[in-house]
Amino acid sequence: MAEVTNLSPETPHHAASQPGPLLSLRGLRTSVTTRGESFDVVQDLSLAIFSNEILCLVGESGCGKSITALSIMGLLPSPPLRVRAGEILFKDENLLELGKGRMREIRSDSISMIFQDPLTSLDPVFTVGDVISEVIRAHRDMGSKEARQLAGESLAKVGLPDPVKRLDSYPHQLSGGMRQRVMIALALVLDPDILIADEPTTALDVTVQAQILEQLIQEQRERHMSMLLITHDLAVVAAVADRVAVMYAGEIVEQAPVDELFEDPRHPYTQGLLRALPQVSVKRQRLDPIPGLVPPPQLMPPGCRFAPRCPHAIDPCWIEHPGLTEERDGRVLRCFNPQPFTS
Amino acid sequence: MKRVLARTIYMLIVLVLSSIAVFYAIRLSGGDAVAARVPASASAEEREAVREQLGLNDPFHEQYFTYVGQILSGNLGNSLTNNARISALITEHGRNSLILGAAAFALVFGLGIPLGILASLRRNSWWDGGIMSLSVAGMAIPNFWLALLAVWLFASVLGWLPSAGCCEPKQLVLPAVVLAMEGMALTVRMTRSAMLENLNQDFVRTLRAGGLSEAKVIGKHVFRNALVPIVSLAGLRIGQIVGYALVVETIFGWPGLGQVLVNAVLRRDYPVAQFFSLVLVAIVLLSNWLADVGYTLVNPRLRKA
Repeated sequence: MAEVTNLSPETPHHAASQPGPLLSLRGLRTSVTTRGESFDVVQDLSLAIFSNEILCLVGESGCGKSITALSIMGLLPSPPLRVRAGEILFKDENLLELGKGRMREIRSDSISMIFQDPLTSLDPVFTVGDVISEVIRAHRDMGSKEARQLAGESLAKVGLPDPVKRLDSYPHQLSGGMRQRVMIALALVLDPDILIADEPTTALDVTVQAQILEQLIQEQRERHMSMLLITHDLAVVAAVADRVAVMYAGEIVEQAPVDELFEDPRHPYTQGLLRALPQVSVKRQRLDPIPGLVPPPQLMPPGCRFAPRCPHAIDPCWIEHPGLTEERDGRVLRCFNPQPFTS
Repeated sequence: MKRVLARTIYMLIVLVLSSIAVFYAIRLSGGDAVAARVPASASAEEREAVREQLGLNDPFHEQYFTYVGQILSGNLGNSLTNNARISALITEHGRNSLILGAAAFALVFGLGIPLGILASLRRNSWWDGGIMSLSVAGMAIPNFWLALLAVWLFASVLGWLPSAGCCEPKQLVLPAVVLAMEGMALTVRMTRSAMLENLNQDFVRTLRAGGLSEAKVIGKHVFRNALVPIVSLAGLRIGQIVGYALVVETIFGWPGLGQVLVNAVLRRDYPVAQFFSLVLVAIVLLSNWLADVGYTLVNPRLRKA
């Protein structure tokens, strides 16, 4: 990445020559409505993705990572989910204010997404080639032969063996890893600026996971695109991320370049996550889980959402909701009482 | 391909078994086939002579094989009651039944599928409520009762349509609608639930993320997936039409296969009853076979893995 921008990708927002973020979310609030009651599942979420970087969004299941991604794509299942406030700026356009037609143009062509489960994410009654060609032709003025050829090329590019033959395969004829490669080919065939990958390896075999991840990173580098990688796997984060945003209970609690985050985690939740990570080098080590559970949306504490589980909670944490503050070194944190990390 | 071959063999076996069943059942059902051939005043000897001449005293299996031999050699035989040639009866009445059946089939799928899609896309709206209420009614009301209601309303009270007869388009409307009603109601429900189920599938999200229009996502992809269960049960729907045709043709005086069969059974006209029953069995089997082949076509998961 560095060879392209001549900048350390860890600190793109400090560089004067660096253009503004490619995609920026400001104060995003997404809520779910059940039986007439609304709860925010994503709150006050601000996030910027710069060109040519891999931003990892980390957090446990149900913390709002996927909902954030679907909010960007305009693909929230509505009802019950709805974006209530905020803006999502992409190249001077607020995606939340776009008409359906313009949003469709952006999907796949500018911002693409791949999903967790490649088993169910492909239409079972159409061939792989049919679907990819159809997506191409929804965006490009192209004949079916030309589109098919492009589809074949995209399959070849993501390392699918025998790509031309695979154009006529149905999803059930492919293995999980192959299906995820098809998903990647489908998402990247139009050369988008941003790829959102929502836990792209979670549903795969461990051996295949590494291959798929490798493929994604390779694509990101070759195409100089940005990637928002959603994961709960800190090992993955450490391996691929440029920057990391940590989410807890629908909010971002900490955001930092990846090296700094692992060396010097400041939010107690991030620290807890790192402590809970099993280390291969240490034998028979006792794991150190974070005590307690994430509060359900209807029972969110009025103060800091992590306070009930936090070892360093002080009085204000229980009363007042901490905002996101930018530290002196440019890192972003949502905490009243940050403590140095001791593992 | 293997599957299609297996289904074909299966179909032939069922056809043979049902020919035996039909042959046996009609002889078990009591009544006297000879009564139709001789005057009421005929003596016991005369009756016995006719019985012997028709081969009705032969052992059952001999009668059966004689009959099968005749059919395979192309000789369908004649009616016992009026000596009409069965091949002629089939041609004439078969055409009428085909018209009625095709009209009902068109209603079952041509109207049932669009209504089901409309209900699924306007879920929980007045459209959905109205369509689903009608479909519950369509399933609940027995067709002979529906036939009477329809005749009362549209023929007697409103006078819009004739109550019976053949074969004007106007005369076709009531029998076709009554014949189609239950199958249509079932198709509506099945289409609606299949559409809703597939609308919630992950692949729909993938296609939307690909920037496809809703028309393409729903009209092409969701619909093609929803078609799988609909086609798989199409054979059943056709069987239903064939079965109900007996009742509906009789009520509306529509001179089709069903009407001839009902009369033949009532008069113990063995040759006609046997052959017409077999024709109906064959139609049902054939439509199931077609539905099976169609199912393989719409569901690629059944083709070579």
